[in-house]
Amino acid sequence: MYLNKILILTKKELKDAFLSPLIYILTGLFSCMLGWLFFNYLVQVKTLSTGTIGQTVVTPIFGNINFIFVFLCPLLTMRTFAEESKQSTLNLLLGSQLSEMQIILGKFLSTLIQVMFMLSFTILFPVILAISGYSDWGVVWSSYFGVALSVMCYLAVGLFCSSLTDNQIVASLLTFCILLGSMLLVITVNATENYLLTLIVQYMTIPFHYEGFVKGLIRSYSFVYYASFLSFFFLLTQKSLQARKW
Amino acid sequence: MEAAIEIKKLSKSYPGRVALNEISFSVKKGSVHGFLGPNGAGKSTTMKILSGLIPPTDGEFKVNGKVGFLPEHPPLYPNMSVRDYLVFVQSIYSSEGNKNHAAVESVIQKTGLSQVSERLIGNLSKGYQQRVGIAQALVHSPEIIILDEPTVGLDPSAINEIRELIKELKKDHTILFSSHQLHDVELLCSDITLIDQGKIVVSGPLDKIVEGLKTRLTLKARVEKFSESERTKMLTKFKLDSLILREISDKKEFELEMSVKAPETIKKELAKYLASDDIGLLEFAEVKIALEDLFKQMIQ
Repeated sequence: MYLNKILILTKKELKDAFLSPLIYILTGLFSCMLGWLFFNYLVQVKTLSTGTIGQTVVTPIFGNINFIFVFLCPLLTMRTFAEESKQSTLNLLLGSQLSEMQIILGKFLSTLIQVMFMLSFTILFPVILAISGYSDWGVVWSSYFGVALSVMCYLAVGLFCSSLTDNQIVASLLTFCILLGSMLLVITVNATENYLLTLIVQYMTIPFHYEGFVKGLIRSYSFVYYASFLSFFFLLTQKSLQARKW
Repeated sequence: MEAAIEIKKLSKSYPGRVALNEISFSVKKGSVHGFLGPNGAGKSTTMKILSGLIPPTDGEFKVNGKVGFLPEHPPLYPNMSVRDYLVFVQSIYSSEGNKNHAAVESVIQKTGLSQVSERLIGNLSKGYQQRVGIAQALVHSPEIIILDEPTVGLDPSAINEIRELIKELKKDHTILFSSHQLHDVELLCSDITLIDQGKIVVSGPLDKIVEGLKTRLTLKARVEKFSESERTKMLTKFKLDSLILREISDKKEFELEMSVKAPETIKKELAKYLASDDIGLLEFAEVKIALEDLFKQMIQ
């Protein structure tokens, strides 16, 4: 029953999203960019004498997918709460039988499915690789898994930022700043010589965990990280929604 | 009579501003209760508290039954069709999250939305959007309906339609609605509450409030003959507060406007006096105090 209510909202959100042009524009843009990059990496393989296809094509292409989603996720999540707030429908949701968490999860699920829709077009790449004789599928699937987990984090941040304001542009910029800021933390790490601090800051950033998946390393502490990251931002969003009642 | 809504010493304050200051009133079950006051008086705040959207700072309130709420800006999704929207609202407001298409259908019928049920809400006229807003408040079959300015910004015929709709809803629901259209209130409400600057000015049955405020009678008469000496004579005889005399020159008639602080029986005496051959009464009527005048009087 808990899930049932979440799905009602998710369905409504999805219908809304797939009836508006934004998702198709973003998917088109995303596919074009990646297709072009993939083609370039493939062409380069010929000229490079060292390195396997895994190192020269798979690893960089998934790095790019992840990076592009840092830009795209804020655009997908900016509407979620900001628009509801603007057209004063947020109170309709908050006054209903749905709990704040159900509303958050419903919207989260809907944006996640939208990302999956965009991502589904990249399935062409493994197919092309398979034709050319590539066989290390473990890395490909663990990379997809890593992308999915990272994207969940981006979306959770996006939902939170959208719940703070009724301006979609502010919401997307704020999300983008937080995501990029957290990525830049890695660079800051290089400035310190304190080993322990380096480890702690590294652990806090999404790319560090993502890199593991792209290399085919599935580390249990990464799951702990993703789970706590998501819970933390869901909780922040819940508090932000509750704050409307204060 | 059983109360549908009971409010006791309800307060709401925002930093640096008191929106509601210990207001108390009750809404009788099955009544249509008008909630009046100037802009910023605290009407919307009270309604939001009653529908559970914001908590009060202090005091208590009791709502006996499910509440359907239409806020000042109806919460509509412009790119959903009317039916989809109502099904969605119905399902998120039902405790099991089940879809009840029959309930939605009956609300569509009731609110006169059958013709537009497949159209997108964003493409509808403001009058229809307001109906969808009301339908949204009804769709989970609440006992109590709270409508925040349901007729604001609509054209006269749409206002009329909404008014008819409220009359129709009166049969099965308790209704609390705020409005600036005092005419609406006079036509629809049995009880009113008047609020100003976060405080209740008056609350109770409409006719009693009007009666209690009617300290003086205002009477109008049209007569054939009237002179200045007659005027002074009448002023002393009936202890009139004022008697305004106007000559309607082209018809050779006079119009009198009398104001007096006296029991109702004076009407009969005055009529008898004016009906004499010397004066020749043509028309005699009491000027009813409009709610609007009361409203102005009390807010001042």
